Formats: sequence, structure tokens, C-alpha cells
Amino acid sequence: MNIISSYSIKGGVGKTALAVNLAYVLRESGRRTLLIDLDPQGAAAFYFRMGSAKKLRMRDSDALADGLRSNIRESDFPGLDIIPSNLAYRNFDIVLDSMSKSRKRLRKVLDEFKPDYDVILLDCPPNITLLSENVFRASDLIVVPVIPTVLSQRTLDQLTLFFQNEELPVEILRPFFSMVQKRNRMHRDIMDELPLSNPHFLKTVIPFSADVEKMGLRRMPLLAYSSNCEAAMAYRALCNEILCQTAARP
Amino acid sequence: MNEKEQKSQFALLLPVEPGLECLRSRWILEGRPQEVRNLVFWDTFEWGVWFGGYLLSSCNNLLQLTDRARWPGSVLCQEPAPEIPRFWQEFASGPMRTALRDLLGLRALAPVAEGIFRHQQYDLRNEDGKVVCRLKLRSVTALEPERLLLQDCLLLPLLGYEAEAADVTACLTEAGAHVHTYHPAELLLQSSGNPPRRYTLRPDFGLKAATPAREAISTIVRSMLDLVHANLPGILQDRDTEFLHDYRICLRKIRSLLSLVKGVYPVTDIQQIRATLGDLARQTNRLRDLDVYLLAREEYLDLLPSPFRPALNSMFDDFALEREAEIRTVTARLASPAFQQLLHDVSVYFAEGTQHPPSAAAALPVEPLVFARIYRRYRTIRKIASGIDASTPDEGIHQLRIECKKLRYLMEFFNELIPGDRSATLQKQLRRLQGRLGEFNDASVQQASLLAYREQRQPGAEISLGLGGLVSVLYQQQQQSRIFIKQSLDEFCSGPTAAIFKRTFKLSASHITTDLYRQTNQ
Repeated sequence: MNIISSYSIKGGVGKTALAVNLAYVLRESGRRTLLIDLDPQGAAAFYFRMGSAKKLRMRDSDALADGLRSNIRESDFPGLDIIPSNLAYRNFDIVLDSMSKSRKRLRKVLDEFKPDYDVILLDCPPNITLLSENVFRASDLIVVPVIPTVLSQRTLDQLTLFFQNEELPVEILRPFFSMVQKRNRMHRDIMDELPLSNPHFLKTVIPFSADVEKMGLRRMPLLAYSSNCEAAMAYRALCNEILCQTAARP
Repeated sequence: MNEKEQKSQFALLLPVEPGLECLRSRWILEGRPQEVRNLVFWDTFEWGVWFGGYLLSSCNNLLQLTDRARWPGSVLCQEPAPEIPRFWQEFASGPMRTALRDLLGLRALAPVAEGIFRHQQYDLRNEDGKVVCRLKLRSVTALEPERLLLQDCLLLPLLGYEAEAADVTACLTEAGAHVHTYHPAELLLQSSGNPPRRYTLRPDFGLKAATPAREAISTIVRSMLDLVHANLPGILQDRDTEFLHDYRICLRKIRSLLSLVKGVYPVTDIQQIRATLGDLARQTNRLRDLDVYLLAREEYLDLLPSPFRPALNSMFDDFALEREAEIRTVTARLASPAFQQLLHDVSVYFAEGTQHPPSAAAALPVEPLVFARIYRRYRTIRKIASGIDASTPDEGIHQLRIECKKLRYLMEFFNELIPGDRSATLQKQLRRLQGRLGEFNDASVQQASLLAYREQRQPGAEISLGLGGLVSVLYQQQQQSRIFIKQSLDEFCSGPTAAIFKRTFKLSASHITTDLYRQTNQ
């Protein structure tokens, strides 16, 4: 089983759009997929027309695993299950903090789902907290959307530094350019420079697109309603690039 | 479909009207295109596919073998078949041929039922447009005459939406639906004019120890005559060789039974009936011989070095031609009014309620009467066996085979009266011995027959050479089987086996007066 996270310290960069479309491609490729919406905003589940999860008991990792399991819901797309978010997830940090080995708890909880799924996708909230650190330690790959702006560049640097300081494996970070406007000169410049200092940058670029924004209206992955638009094709290419990298991993 | 999904599915029998309409007030119903499949199911006279746990069906020239319990999922193998072959040997090598070899044996495939299967999947969406339950509306329509056998709806609940599935169930139940466990394909087959049933030449007759002998014998004969009738259409259509084979066995078993339980019916009547049945069986002797040769064609050819095989092949071609003529003769006879009348007369004689003059053993309880005869038959075999050695002529062994066959028939007919464990032990040994004797006899008969063929047809030198080779191989086999016969005989006549025979058949018959038995067992 592979655990892939869609993560960024910064919000509004396309994390959830990536998680939702990646989940769609994974189930399309025959992998039993579980998407866990860890972001209390609950956008991923919203895109799948689901409400929020039932409130979880989070006193220990067994109770947390049971609670997550009881919240699994089948999506409209066979092979893809979702655990929707709940506002209570805002307290994840406090709960994790009260547990022993509080930085590795999530991995232990997710191991419970190994027999049922080939891939678990985590859609993460935009911050850097104890939950984030659990995500870093649980993930086999962390895909990081980066809008080619100075602020995004700065948050990527912060993330890399955090990994180095905490002795986390930097090589599992997979940044990619998101919401790119090709006519924007600054975008073009940053896209030229940034990959030079980040060897694991993914090659596929996701353009800024009104089609992606319509996901909120259609309430389904872009690939489910418009598989041939430029953004959809870019998502598919990006997902395939990620899939190639996860397949190569032990 | 995984196990978890299968467990959560269940089917509701739906009234044709209003079907799923009642759901529209609460959910958005989205139907996918309907799938219509016209399926023909195939099986043998013995239902080898069905009782093997499978279903064989064809649709649009595609033949599929499926696990019966998990139909229509779990297709074990499939292959394109514009025309469905009759025998497993006619399939090209592959998993289908291998699977059918075990399920069909010597039997031919034939269509057993045809039906139209309609499937339509529906998604039920809530006010957010989320699918909260799936349904599969299914119907089965039998053909000729066309009639709707089943309309149901398979509920496919979604994980996390169990409450919605329960609501859907409640809604449908209120509209008259109810849970059922019918298997659509099985229902079609069960509703056809010819539903699957166990076929055996050794049925249970419902005999009791105290059943009067005449009643017991007539019950058995009626059962065997039913089997004769059941096999006739297959012979007339020449579906496979086993119809004739079983027809002949039934006739032989009736004749044998009537000779083994003398005194139950008036002796002259029985002589006449036995003669009639003997005539009927004899009329098919040549056809059966030819069937045996042709079935063993490959086996025979394998016995010879390859240079001799082409020549011998032409002998089998002769046999095949002769069989064509012979089957015409036999079917004409079996279809004739004279034949029907003969069989009818025998049936009437043994029909329930037919009165016959009394005879010595008619009213005796069947168990002691028959057990005494079984024991006597065993002693006869032991006596013959004691004189068998390497120099015994073929006729002597043939005689032993006949006696064993009589014993076997008696034990089979009255099997339900014999304690189970002893019956199994004795019949196992007897079967082994008969197998050896059968091999010996077959080799002997085949040699004679091949030599007769050479005599009559005067074939060319090459065929003669092949025949000579085959005869010598068969002779070697025959000599070899003498050794095995001796081993099996020693076992069958040994002290422990004799003790079981004595304990089972002699002692239980001892309370019947010796005089009466002397009278009836002559």
C-alpha cells in the first residue's frame, strides 16, 4: 500500500483539486483507493457530494482507526472510497499531542487499512502542525502544489528546511507548478529557476483554468466531467507521472 | 466483485407493477441502458454440468462455463462457439475441453433451457446528487411458451450509506416486494419441462425387510422399466452411446432379477417375459459392439506401432459405416408398434394392482428370501473360484464373470436392506473383481471379433498385419489379467470376506424355515 499526500503550507494552491483528480485516476487505473480529507474545511468530500463525517472519538490510535473506518463512504465511482472531514479535525493536534509517539501515530492508524486499499491519499490542511508532521512521517510521497509566485517559493523553502532540520527524507517531496498563467512573466521566470534547486520537481504543469474552478459547481472531479480540456489532460499527465514514481518506489 | 460486496447484496422479488416507481418520490432514479441476453443452457442427459456445480450457457456464439452458485459472475472459461460441439473431444484443447471432459464423460451436450435475461442498473441519488444506493432490475423470461418467471431487484448498497439502503428496502417492501433467494438461472432450468434430476441405474426402491417379495420385485422392475423408457428417446435420436448402454443394462438387470428370485411369480410367465427382454437386448448387440470399438478407437490405435495405424484406421472406418446402418435398423425397430406393444405388455404385467396367480414365495418377506439367495450365489462363486488356475479355459472364467454379475445385481437391487458399512466393503471388493474379469472378457471377445472381421471382410495384407498385431497385444493383456483375477479372487473368497457374507446374509435368513427355502430356492 502506498500513502500519497497532497500538501502545502500555503492555502489556495490547488491541493484539493490535485487530491480529488489523483484519486479519480488511481481508481480508474484499477487501484483500490481511499481518499482521506484531513482538512476541516471538507472541500474534498464536498467535491464528491458528501456531507461531513460523523464526529470521531480520538482518545487513542485504536479508537481513531475505528472512527475513521466507520466514516468510510463509497463514492459514485466504484473503487474509490472517501473519509470526509469533520470540523473536529481542527483538534487533531491536541489529540495527537496527548498520545505517546505522537509524531508517528497516523502511520500506525493508516496501517489498519492496508488489507483493503492499494493507495491511501491524504488531502491535508494548509499549515505546519503536529498533524502535518504525522503526515510527513506516514507518507511515501508528498505532492506539493506550487503557484509560481514568490510567496509560494518561500513556503516551499520553509518546508524543505523543516524536513532537513527534522531529519525527514526530503526526497519524498514532489513539488509541481499549479495554477500557472503562461502569460505572466513572473510565473515564467520562477518556473525557469525553481526546478534548478529542486531536483524532484515534477515536470507536468497544471494551468490556471476556469474548468477546474467549475468543480465546485459540478461537485465532481474535473476528469469526470471534462476529460479532454487542457487542465484535465494536464492532471492526467501529472497523475501518471506521480504513479510512475510511486511504482518505482519499494 | 469482492466478498464484502457480495455479502451486502440481496434480492427483492418485485411485483411487475409498479416496479421501482415507488422510489421516485424520494430519490432521483437514473437508469443505465438495459442489457438483454438470450441465453441457452446446455447439459447432458445425466446433468453432469449441473451436478458438477456449474452452468454452461451460450449467448451470441460465446460459450461460458460458470460456477453455478456464483452465476452470472465467476466465469471459469469461455470460448467462441458458432456451433456447440456435442462431445468434449470435439472442443479445441484448452480449459473448456479439460473442464468438460470431467463433467461430460461419454455423454453428449444438448440444449436444456432457453431464456431471456434482462438487466438494468439504476443509481439512486439524493438531493445533493450523490449516489446513495444502486439497484439492478432483473427479469427472466422463459421461452416456448414465453412467460415471465421472475422480476426482481438486486440491492447493491454503498458503503457508508446503509441507512439509505434500508430506506429503499422499506419503500419497496411497502409496495409489495419481498426478499427471495431464487437463483435466476436455476429457476429457468427448474421451470423447464425437463428440470435437473439425479440419474442413476441404482435407485432406492423404498424396500423394507418385511415387504412381501412380489411387491418388492414389481417395485424394482417398474423402476427399471421407467429407466428403459427414459433412455429410448436418446437412442432414437442417437444422442450418445450411453442411452443404448443403459437401456441394455436395464433389460439385463430385469432379466437377471427375475431369474434370481424364482417362485415369486408364476414360472411360465417369467420365462416368457425373460425371453422377450432377451430378444429386445439381442437386437441391439451388434450396435453396442460397434459403439465399444469406436469409443476405443484411439486406445486401440495406441496399442500398435505407428506404421500399422493407418491400415487399422480403415477398419474403424468400416465399423463407423456399419454403425450408421445398424443405428437405422435399431431405431426403426424401437420405433415400431410391435416393440412398443412388447414393452407395454411387460409394463402392464408389473403394474401396480395387476393380479397374478399365487406362487410359493410371493408373499414371503423379501429380506430373508433375497439374503439366502445372495449367500448361495456367493458360495457358488467360491466353489468356481477354487477350481480356477492358470490352465482354466476362457469359458470357465467367463462363467465366473456371469455369476459375479448376478451377485452384484442382487446386492445392488437390495442394497438398501444391507447394513451400509458391510455393503460398501463387499461391493468394493466385488467391483474390483468384476473389473478384472471384465478386462479379461473384453480382451477375449475383442480378439474373437477382430478375427471374425478378418474372416468376413478378407482385408488387404496391411490391415491383416495390423489386426494380427492387435490380436497379439490383446492376448498378452488377457494373460496378464489372469494374474490380477487370481489376486482379486483370493481377496474376495478369503476368510474375512466370507465371514462378512456369512454374518450378513446367512444368519439373518436362518429364522425362515429350511423347508420353505428348499421349496422356493430350487
